[in-house]
Amino acid sequence: MEERLYDLIFICRPATPEEEIDKVIAILENTVAERGGKVDKKEKWGARKMAYRVMRHREGYYVLMVIRTAQSDTVHELERRLKVNDAVIKYMTVRLDEDMKRQKRLQQRRERKAARRPRGQRPGHAHPAPEQPAAAVQQQ
Amino acid sequence: MSDDTPKESQTHEPQPPAEAPAEAKQPRPPDQAQAPAPGAEAPAPAAPPARPPEGRPHGGRPPDGRPREGRPGEGRGGESRGPREGGREGGKRGRRGFFRKKKVCRFCVDRVDYIDYKKPEQLMTFIQERGKIMPRRITGTCSRHQRWLAEAIKRARNIALMPFGGAR
Repeated sequence: MEERLYDLIFICRPATPEEEIDKVIAILENTVAERGGKVDKKEKWGARKMAYRVMRHREGYYVLMVIRTAQSDTVHELERRLKVNDAVIKYMTVRLDEDMKRQKRLQQRRERKAARRPRGQRPGHAHPAPEQPAAAVQQQ
Repeated sequence: MSDDTPKESQTHEPQPPAEAPAEAKQPRPPDQAQAPAPGAEAPAPAAPPARPPEGRPHGGRPPDGRPREGRPGEGRGGESRGPREGGREGGKRGRRGFFRKKKVCRFCVDRVDYIDYKKPEQLMTFIQERGKIMPRRITGTCSRHQRWLAEAIKRARNIALMPFGGAR
């Protein structure tokens, strides 16, 4: 299986001590490493207000990890670990590689268009130039 | 959006002939009316007829479309029909000299290729007070970006970055 990219966000209880959160992160990192994956990014957003109450908490300690893995059961295992952990009140995994692929494709297309444009018929016009890519993008 | 502009021009083109000849015929035959440069009064008839045909034939619709613009997502039923037409003519001057700015997709302007659900501050501008996703007809977002936007908002809701309902 080819490699896939995931966003893994989890929220801990606001009262959780920092070490505990680090421990959770370490566990997840190990899990990923065991399965031949990689952790691309680790971000602690810290305690922030949640948009709604989760398990009676109004605040939560957000942690984001970006994970790259080729093994399909990695996410399963990660989610299981998060579920088991008492400090974690909410988690979400989002597969991102397809969005990223799409983004890359669009970017490339735009660059190609940009490269082609100078040879076009209307040089010197500041106006038509910016409009072209936008219109073209919408057409597909 | 790129579809809109040609269609608008098509809808407007047939209309001036409907009324313009009626007024233009009196001063001169229609083929001469097309070249009004020599006649002093020619520019005058040419300009006014252009306005009314725009306003009147559309007249039936925009009044429906316009007030809807004002109250976001209130009623149902008829609303689903009107805005589509309203959106089509949205770029042009309707009747009574209203001028509605043509709505442009903000994401297209910024050339956004991916809408990140992790930035709720940006997404917040696209939800209503009660947490509903703003309809396209209000924000002017193009269909593609609206799709991405909706997905991003839903993801953000899942992880409590954005509200499901209005009340906290």
